[in-house]
Amino acid sequence: MFLALSEMRRAKVRFGLLAGAVGLLVFLILFQQALLTGLVNQFIGALKNQSADVLVFNAQARKNLEGSIILPDQAAAIAAVEGVDVAAPLGEGTFTVLAGGEETDAVIFGYELGGPGAPTTLIEGRLPEVGGEAVASSRNAADGFDIGDTVTVVPNPGGTATTFTVVGLAREINYSVSPTLFTDFAGFETARRAVNPDATQVLPSVMAVRVVAGADPAEVADAITAAVEGTEGLTRQQAVDESPGVASVRQSFSVILLLFYLVVPLVTGLFFLIVTFQKAGALTLLRAIGSPAGPLVRSLLIQVVAVVLSGAVLATGLFWLASLGGGGGLGITVEPMPVITTTLVVLVLALLTSFAAVRRVLRIDPIAATTGAGVQV
Amino acid sequence: MSSSNPSDSSAPSGAAVLATAPALRLDGIRKVYGTGENAIVAVDHASLTVGGGEIVALLGPSGSGKTTLLSIAGGLLAATEGTVVVGGEDISGHSPRELTEFRRSKVGFVFQSVNLVPFLTAEENLLVVSELAGARGAARKQARTRAKELLAELGLSHRAGNLPAQLSGGERQRVAIGRALFNSPALVLFDEPTSALDTKIGEQVMELIQAEMRSRGTASVIVTHDTRMTHYADRTVRIVDGVLGLADAAGDVSGDH
Repeated sequence: MFLALSEMRRAKVRFGLLAGAVGLLVFLILFQQALLTGLVNQFIGALKNQSADVLVFNAQARKNLEGSIILPDQAAAIAAVEGVDVAAPLGEGTFTVLAGGEETDAVIFGYELGGPGAPTTLIEGRLPEVGGEAVASSRNAADGFDIGDTVTVVPNPGGTATTFTVVGLAREINYSVSPTLFTDFAGFETARRAVNPDATQVLPSVMAVRVVAGADPAEVADAITAAVEGTEGLTRQQAVDESPGVASVRQSFSVILLLFYLVVPLVTGLFFLIVTFQKAGALTLLRAIGSPAGPLVRSLLIQVVAVVLSGAVLATGLFWLASLGGGGGLGITVEPMPVITTTLVVLVLALLTSFAAVRRVLRIDPIAATTGAGVQV
Repeated sequence: MSSSNPSDSSAPSGAAVLATAPALRLDGIRKVYGTGENAIVAVDHASLTVGGGEIVALLGPSGSGKTTLLSIAGGLLAATEGTVVVGGEDISGHSPRELTEFRRSKVGFVFQSVNLVPFLTAEENLLVVSELAGARGAARKQARTRAKELLAELGLSHRAGNLPAQLSGGERQRVAIGRALFNSPALVLFDEPTSALDTKIGEQVMELIQAEMRSRGTASVIVTHDTRMTHYADRTVRIVDGVLGLADAAGDVSGDH
C-alpha cells in the first residue's frame, strides 16, 4: 500500500490520465448498455412488462405482434392445454389519437381486466377497473398521457370516436417507440371499430396465458405450440428476445460492447506493463534490498484496482450527467446493478491483463541492481 | 589506511578488529558461469574475513570479479562453491526466500547507480526498508523516528521531503547510506559508491562512509577501482581475474588467495 499510494501520489497526472481514459471507456460501456436497454424497452417494453407468463402468437406471424391474430377455436384450444390456468385475449394496434390537443400515433393494448396481460410496472395511479380507463406509458405523460388526461382515438369516416381516461402510469411499457395505452379488451375492440367500422369481428393479436402455480412457462408454451395447430407459444422472455429486430439490435450492440470490454483491460494492462518497464530500476533496487516479490505485485494490483475504481466513479458521474439529458428520449437511467456489474467485469479483466506486468515483476533478478545497466526483466 | 604487509587476505589487520567476531567470512568462494568449455570463472576460491567494524576496500579493475564477490557476500548471488557467513549466519545454503529476508535485515547495500526509488522522498527511501518488513503501529512510528534521526546525522533533515531528482549526487549517496544503515546491519556493502561523483564530492562521501561506519562499529566492504579511495579503508584487498590477494599501497598483489 505504501509503495502503491506513494507512487500514485507522485505521478498524479500519469495515473489520472489512465483513470480518465478508463473512465471514458467504462462510461461508453454503461451508456451503450443503457442505450440498448432503452431501445429494447421503447420497442417492446409492453411485452416485457406485462403479466402473462406465456404469449401465444399465430405461427404465421413469426413472433410479430402486428401480424398475429388468434382465431376463436385456437383461443379455446389454448385454454384447454394442460398447465394453462387462464388464457385471455390480448389485442394490439396502432391508432391515430388526439392527446394533449394534438394528433399523434399511439399503441393500444387491450387485455381482460384482472387477467393476464396487465402492465406490471405501475408507478402512479391505478390499473383500469372499468371500460374507458387506461394506463399510459409514463414516458409520454407530458404529451397528453398523464393521469386525468383523455385520449381519443380519431375515427375513420363512419366510425365513432372512442375516448380513454388515463388512470395510471406505468414505466417502460412502450411499444414500437410510441405512446402506449393498456385498456380493457372491450375498449380495444371499440378502438378497432372506430378506425374500421366495417369489421365484423375483432380478434385478439395473441393469447395471454397465466400458467398454473408451479408449472414451467417454457414447458407450457411448448405444449401449446404442439397441441394447438397454427400457434406458437413463447414465454414472456422469449417473446421479448425473439421479437423481430430486437435480436439483431442486441447482436450489434453485443459486438460493440465486447470490443469495449476488450479495450478497457487491454489499455490498463499495457499501461501497467509500460510503467513496470519504466520503473524496473526501482523495482530491482527494492528486490535487492530485501523486498519479496509479493509486496511489489500487491502494489501493482492495488494500483490497477485504484485506477479502475477511479475510472468507474468518473464513468458513473458522466453516466449520471448523460441520464439527465435522457439519452435522446430513450429514457436512460442510472441503475446500480449495471454500474456495479460492469465495474466488476472490467476490474477482473484489467487484473487479468495486468498479468504480463505481474510476470515482469516476478522475473526481476535482484542481482541486476549491481550492474547499473538497468534490469533484466 | 591501507595495509602494507598483509600476508593473508582472510585476516583482518587491526588488533581491535581481530578482537571482535567477524562480520563477514568468505571461505573458498568460487563462482562459475556456464559449463564445460564455455565455463567462465568469475571468482576463484576466494577467502576473506572482515572483522566487526572493519572497513575493507576491495580493489580491482573492471571485470575482475569484485562486484560478483560483493554480490555473493550480500546474498544477491549464490556461490558455486564455498561458504558465506555474515554476522554469524551461514547463508551458503539459504533459499531465495531466506536470502531476501537476510538482505532486508542483516546487510546494507549502496549500489553504483540506481540507489533510490525515484517516486519516494528521501525519508520514504529510508522508511521503505521497514515498510517492506511490514512495520505497523508502534514499529512504524519508531521507524519514522529513526529515519529522521539518520537524516539528521547525515545532514539531510532539510531534504527529508525531497524526491531523489531534487537532490544532488552527493546527497543521493548520503540518503543511500542512510537506507543501508537503517536496520543497523552487521555489514554494509558499497559497490563503487563514488564512481558517479566528481573527486571532491567522492572524497566527501568516502569521509562520510568512514565516519558513519566507525561511529557505529559497522563493518563494510567497499568495492572500488579507484586507488585514491582505498586510504579510507582499514585494509585493501585486491582482486584480479577472480583471484583474491592482498595489496600494498600501490595496489600490487602480494599474496594469493
